[in-house]
Amino acid sequence: MSLNNLQGRVAWVFEEDDYDIDLIVGVRNIKITDVKELAALAMSDYTPGFAATVRPGDLLVGGENFGYGHPHYPAMRAMRHLGISAVIAESFSPGFFRGEMSMGFPLVTCPGIRAAAARGDELTVNWATSEVSNLRSGQTLALQAFSASERGMLEAGGLIPFLKHRMAKAQAPTAAVPQST
Amino acid sequence: MPLPQTMTEKILARASGQASVTPGQEITARPDFVISYDFPGYTDVFFKETREDFGVEKVSSPERFVLFIDHMVPATSPKEEELHKITRAWGKEQGVPVHEREGIGHQVSAELGYATPGAFAVHFDGHVSQLGAFGTFAFGARKGVVEAFATENITLTVPATIKVELTGTMQAGVMARDVFHHMVRVMGPASCRFKVVELCGPVIDAMSIEGRQVLCGQAMFLGATTMLIAPDAKTLDHAKGRSRIALAPVYPDADAVYERVVRIDISELEPIVVVPPSPANTRNLTDYTGLEVHTGYLGSCASGRLEDLRIAAQVLRGRHIQPGFQLHVVPTSKAIMAAAAREGLIETLVEAGAFISSPSCDYCFGRIATMSDGQRAVSTGTLNTPGRMGSVDSEIYICNAAVVAASALEGRIADPRPYLAAALAQPVGAAA
Repeated sequence: MSLNNLQGRVAWVFEEDDYDIDLIVGVRNIKITDVKELAALAMSDYTPGFAATVRPGDLLVGGENFGYGHPHYPAMRAMRHLGISAVIAESFSPGFFRGEMSMGFPLVTCPGIRAAAARGDELTVNWATSEVSNLRSGQTLALQAFSASERGMLEAGGLIPFLKHRMAKAQAPTAAVPQST
Repeated sequence: MPLPQTMTEKILARASGQASVTPGQEITARPDFVISYDFPGYTDVFFKETREDFGVEKVSSPERFVLFIDHMVPATSPKEEELHKITRAWGKEQGVPVHEREGIGHQVSAELGYATPGAFAVHFDGHVSQLGAFGTFAFGARKGVVEAFATENITLTVPATIKVELTGTMQAGVMARDVFHHMVRVMGPASCRFKVVELCGPVIDAMSIEGRQVLCGQAMFLGATTMLIAPDAKTLDHAKGRSRIALAPVYPDADAVYERVVRIDISELEPIVVVPPSPANTRNLTDYTGLEVHTGYLGSCASGRLEDLRIAAQVLRGRHIQPGFQLHVVPTSKAIMAAAAREGLIETLVEAGAFISSPSCDYCFGRIATMSDGQRAVSTGTLNTPGRMGSVDSEIYICNAAVVAASALEGRIADPRPYLAAALAQPVGAAA
């Protein structure tokens, strides 16, 4: 399995450190499970009509400790539904990082990205060279590589398929042993 | 010679069946306890995935599992009650206990012995870190907890440990809540990202179990994976007769390797307030006294225990809160509420004008006692994110229980210390 490189426009730059992602749909909406409803609510406290501005593959950019607070899932479910393909931030809060990587959603740690990206810029993420490039400015930054299981989780499309794959692999040699032995 | 180890390394080595583990190493460990509360999109999904994606009809060793119904209690819609029904049915079918209306799970877990010193516990919610007060390594794995439902184990990277030594003595009117948010102020909200904090020092030695639960439970706001404290006579006594499994308590080796050691003297610390919009914003209380507030919340898994109720009663005894002020007091568990009733605290609080509810998580996230535009709260809840307790145009000021009580009396953010000094000068009962 391999990981596809990413290319997309910056749909939003969350400038603040310690950003609480519940603010994306509003804390009052975190019990909503319907993803269409959540997507329609996304960023409505920031700007009208955000959903219409997002194209599939677009990216979000964040500051230090992005996802601080209580990292509930509705915000990124909404963002994925709109077509957001990853978040690139200075750094991530661990609970948020674990939760979203488990969903197969890439969270890319890239020091310097906040100052290097503006809304609307086209960025690429190259896994092979471990680089994030801004096609508008020509600037290239190094990203922090994933651990083996983090990468495996992204390649598989999330924790569930990753675990299923791992379990199938673990069982495979046993199944290959002839019955007579 | 075995390698010197921190508490975390020892606990994770045992749980992963190895002699030792080192920070950065990815391990597969068997949790002694798998703890959850029901919430839409979490437990209902985990149950479904365990069965449909992994074909697991019964979880392995169900005695390790426990479920709490503490959110959406009582239900306010058929949909919420439906979720609870799914939880009850799953527990029954799997042989997993479901504790309902007994209090906030992170507290009740400790009361029921899931906070066994030396144990390894997982939850999806990070506030489970408060079991660390008893020397339990407990962390919130988010979605990752599914692995523990579907297999016997959970995969994690061994975190490095940061040792934090709290020295000095706490001034009157300063509580564990102040100490924690002071740590955030001094160390920074991202200072311990992906690390474990091992707390020690004279302040911890002198601190109640309840205070230690407060500190450990908020670990995530330092960025930490979890926080823990080596067991002492107090916690071992609490664990005696409660611990669900026989385990030797775990202590750090004297020559254990820490990523860094931080010493914080808290002798000069005065009560704090954490101002919106984030738990990263610790300020001196005295810079905010006088700010008009409309509601107060004393409760949550981070506060709302006996010492919180006692100090609030001390401030409020023989007095009455401002007309129109809404003071919500929610003891963290049924056992705490009953103990508070026996001590006469409930009577004092009610007579002072407090609105008291049975234990529930619901006040903490604005599901009830919801604020509207322009309102301000003083709160012992976990978070002050805009909208957390209602309208995004309402504000939450996090503070200790005594500050909530004093602010309720004045309708403004208030310093509890004059009230506490007056209470000390006056024999109990004299003001009634």
